Amino acid sequence: MLKREVAKRVFAMEFEACRELEKSVRSDPGTIDSKSPNLLISPLGLIINRVFVVGVVTELDNIGTQSEMWKARIVDPTGAFTVYAGQYQPEASIFFSTVKVPAFIALTGKARIYEPEPGSVFVSIRAEEVNVVNEDIRNRWVVDTAEQTVKRLEVFSDALASEYHGEKLREYLLENGVSSELVEGISIMLDQELAPYEFTKLLRASIREGLKTLDFNLEDDTGAKADQKEFVLELLREMGGSKGADYAAFISAAISRGISEQVVEEVIRALLAGGQCYEPKIGIIRLVG
Amino acid sequence: MDQKIAPHLEELTRALGDLEKTGIREEFEKLIAFRVPPDVAKESILRKFGRNRVLKVKDLSANLRNLELTVRILDLGEKSIRPQEGSPEGPSKLYTGVLADETGSVLFSSWKELPGSIGDVINVKNAYIRIWQNRINLSIGKQSLVSKVSDSVLPPLAELSGSQIKKLIDIGHADFAVDAIVCVLQFSHREVLVKRRQTRVISGVLADETGRLPFTAWIELPGIDIGSIIRIKGAQIRIFRGMPSVNILSSTKVSLVVAEEARKLAFTFESAAKDPIPIKIEEIDSKDSIFDVAAVGNVVSVRPGSGIITRCPECSRVIQKGNCRVHGKVEGIRDMRIKAVLDDGTGSMSVMIPRDLVEIIYGKTLEEAEQLMFSDVSKDVVYEDLRRFLTGRYFAVRGNSSKGEYGISFVAEKAWVPDDDLEVRVVELLRRLGPAEEDEQDRDSQVSSGGIELA
Repeated sequence: MLKREVAKRVFAMEFEACRELEKSVRSDPGTIDSKSPNLLISPLGLIINRVFVVGVVTELDNIGTQSEMWKARIVDPTGAFTVYAGQYQPEASIFFSTVKVPAFIALTGKARIYEPEPGSVFVSIRAEEVNVVNEDIRNRWVVDTAEQTVKRLEVFSDALASEYHGEKLREYLLENGVSSELVEGISIMLDQELAPYEFTKLLRASIREGLKTLDFNLEDDTGAKADQKEFVLELLREMGGSKGADYAAFISAAISRGISEQVVEEVIRALLAGGQCYEPKIGIIRLVG
Repeated sequence: MDQKIAPHLEELTRALGDLEKTGIREEFEKLIAFRVPPDVAKESILRKFGRNRVLKVKDLSANLRNLELTVRILDLGEKSIRPQEGSPEGPSKLYTGVLADETGSVLFSSWKELPGSIGDVINVKNAYIRIWQNRINLSIGKQSLVSKVSDSVLPPLAELSGSQIKKLIDIGHADFAVDAIVCVLQFSHREVLVKRRQTRVISGVLADETGRLPFTAWIELPGIDIGSIIRIKGAQIRIFRGMPSVNILSSTKVSLVVAEEARKLAFTFESAAKDPIPIKIEEIDSKDSIFDVAAVGNVVSVRPGSGIITRCPECSRVIQKGNCRVHGKVEGIRDMRIKAVLDDGTGSMSVMIPRDLVEIIYGKTLEEAEQLMFSDVSKDVVYEDLRRFLTGRYFAVRGNSSKGEYGISFVAEKAWVPDDDLEVRVVELLRRLGPAEEDEQDRDSQVSSGGIELA
């Protein structure tokens, strides 16, 4: 049965720390053939083939020499994903050739790893499906991903604390309702005796901070609100130049990148009040300086 | 030649046991005769017969091969199969019946005579699974090894053949007759054609605390209506489009559960009639099928075939260029649908959303979508528009799931954009992550006073 690979929810920090899952250490080496998917394994034992990511695209380059090859950076609260889309991902390539930076985007893709020499590893995503989304979806993705990551952190520290190994550990985890795939991943990671204490600490701290920025967003003027302000400013700088931007065109440009009209108006009002921009003519907004 | 293949045969014997009896040697030599290099032939034999997986009846699923089972014969019959005209083979016999272990029972068909009769316990190796009339069928072929084993390894015949009391969620492809205590959620009479005769049947939905299933009653059910809590004994399970349904026949006993006893049940009509709470796709994946279930996830892909399609007016099949596979050239009827992959990070499923729901979600009627289609040169314009509209978004769906060759397929009866209380979830997550600094607690309490603004 050729089953579709599940799109895992993982933060950039955990994704970046992934390594290739060697075919030889998988639990059923007998069934592996050329059709078996390429897998990555995270320090927490998450086995990854496909991922679903929602974040802000902050950089976009066409690095192809003969044909198009887009390289994008997508930022989440813990770090950044590197995404590629080339001639074999025509839809994603078209998308990247039209999207304006920065924007909230949702992306499904396959995890890739490139290790030109021992010690230098490049983990990236090869894009399959991309779309512009709104901030609401981004926030929800952050919370979903945090929930699934925290669950893994809990299972992982539970596995460490149990001090079981091998078959005994597997039984213990399965009994506790852990999915067989995660059980396999955890036992592989623990067998390698690379218990990532430092990593889990950093990841916890990073998720905590990330969630708090979401909170500030709900609260008031700092945190993610500041991000939005930054975003709107950036857009205004880009569109306006020295002449200023048409307000209506500006609003629709912002909406197309996933920022609601309400938020734009609010930010513009704050900017006007703060003297960071002004209206040289009615309907035209211009940045100061 | 023989010297060359001897070590390979030895290796095969070590891996697969007796080669002569199972005909594996014959197969191997056939490959050799076709000039397949011996080591390649060995590889393909190993791949074909592999190591047997020891399974229980409840774990059987479509397209398994090389499996081993220990089962008791519940029913056994034989059919003579006339050889095809022109075939050199003589008439052969097909043995069919039912096998069971403590986890369930399964239909089988065997080209070999079994070394036992009804009531005996047998061990079957190298068997495989075929789908026959919507049900899993254990096939015992020429390469299979069947042996009679000790009687004591499985529960006695009477226990295995009697219908077992089951919760609805546990009823699956391995069940033939069940007992259950359930509540009636839907109940209606309808006319169906059975063997060209109009027959009045009752159909509806049953529920308990674990789930729901459709039912059909071929007999009158006096005194029973929506809200009744009933005890069913000896109902037959049939599989329709991958979904089990409870059939109440004349041999089935149905009685009302008295109020006093009903109070002790884990469900009431009110609790059973509540809308299903969304569950993880992982859980949906763990069952062959679930009736009336809900899930939430992101649309990670909108599949080709979404958008405006044309159907055959006779059979409703999707047609291409005005030609139906069955009815030839027809005047097609336009329809709209979405085929999307919904993924929640624990599992993924292919969701089919019919026209009436598409119109609500998409905000465009079929007619409006058609205008969009006519206004553009690209025939995929509606599909492209749907992709832009849906990809990445959150959706909740409610409907029926069943597992097939390509994973879960889910037919939505309702679809909506789920609300979510992110604030509560964030507070809970921060609690689970534990405090990092001293001021953690203060901030948490502040957070709960504010609301999440959904942009």
